[in-house]
Amino acid sequence: MIDIGHFLILAILLFSVGIVGVISRRNIFVMYMSIELMLNAVNLILVALSHHFEDLNGQVMAIMIIAIAAAEASIFLALFVMLFKNARSLDANFFDLLKQEKHND
Amino acid sequence: MLSSIIFFILAFATLSSAIGMIYFRQPINSALSLIVTLLSIAGLFALLGGSFLFLVQIIIYAGAVVALILFIIMFLNIKEENLPDEPYKGRWILAMALLISPFTLYLISLVNKMEFKSLHLQDFGSIKDVGMKLYTDWVLPFEMISILLLIALIGVVILARKEKGRD
Repeated sequence: MIDIGHFLILAILLFSVGIVGVISRRNIFVMYMSIELMLNAVNLILVALSHHFEDLNGQVMAIMIIAIAAAEASIFLALFVMLFKNARSLDANFFDLLKQEKHND
Repeated sequence: MLSSIIFFILAFATLSSAIGMIYFRQPINSALSLIVTLLSIAGLFALLGGSFLFLVQIIIYAGAVVALILFIIMFLNIKEENLPDEPYKGRWILAMALLISPFTLYLISLVNKMEFKSLHLQDFGSIKDVGMKLYTDWVLPFEMISILLLIALIGVVILARKEKGRD
């Protein structure tokens, strides 16, 4: 029989997959989708613990996170349109204007 | 018994499509794989009794957010040469998974030490209950979310409009 711990372990694994996606890929779309995956893992933890404690506050927090993720998605995608217009690439290594330049002289 | 079978099917679908999402090269394959993950998570919410969250997850995440991602990917008309070339992608993912694994194993060992109730199937978190909670204890955050969505709307319009004098 499964218990709430199984849901928490699944959420931890999903969060780790999200972290791996953010730090190992260079495609900005995949990095953004990994962030969405991490938000969903947190939602799963909140709903599972809300079931465990029989307290609805966790589910309301999950609804708040979903609303914030929707706002974040629109901003992210507008930024991607601008970045793609400027660089014609989805490579995160192109967007390094803030990196310290090497002085050759 | 039935709930554990459903849980393991959904957990397998969630994890395998999440790993596929970070592995695929084309962003459109990643986005379709993300839909499978989000729908399986919606199924897990339903298993935990949150019927309203189940609906919200399907409508907002799998409906709106992923549709927006797919729309932008098709709008940008991404060619093969626009994608970053990642020759050692699989090796990078394995190395980073090894780097993250101590953190993951530590958290899993913490969860294993705790005692949890077994799952009891009931409707917990129907629309009425969540709505009562949302409009009594959570009124202020709810209104602030609406202001946040308005700010995001204005910000997106300002970011994405065509500037005069350029191009």
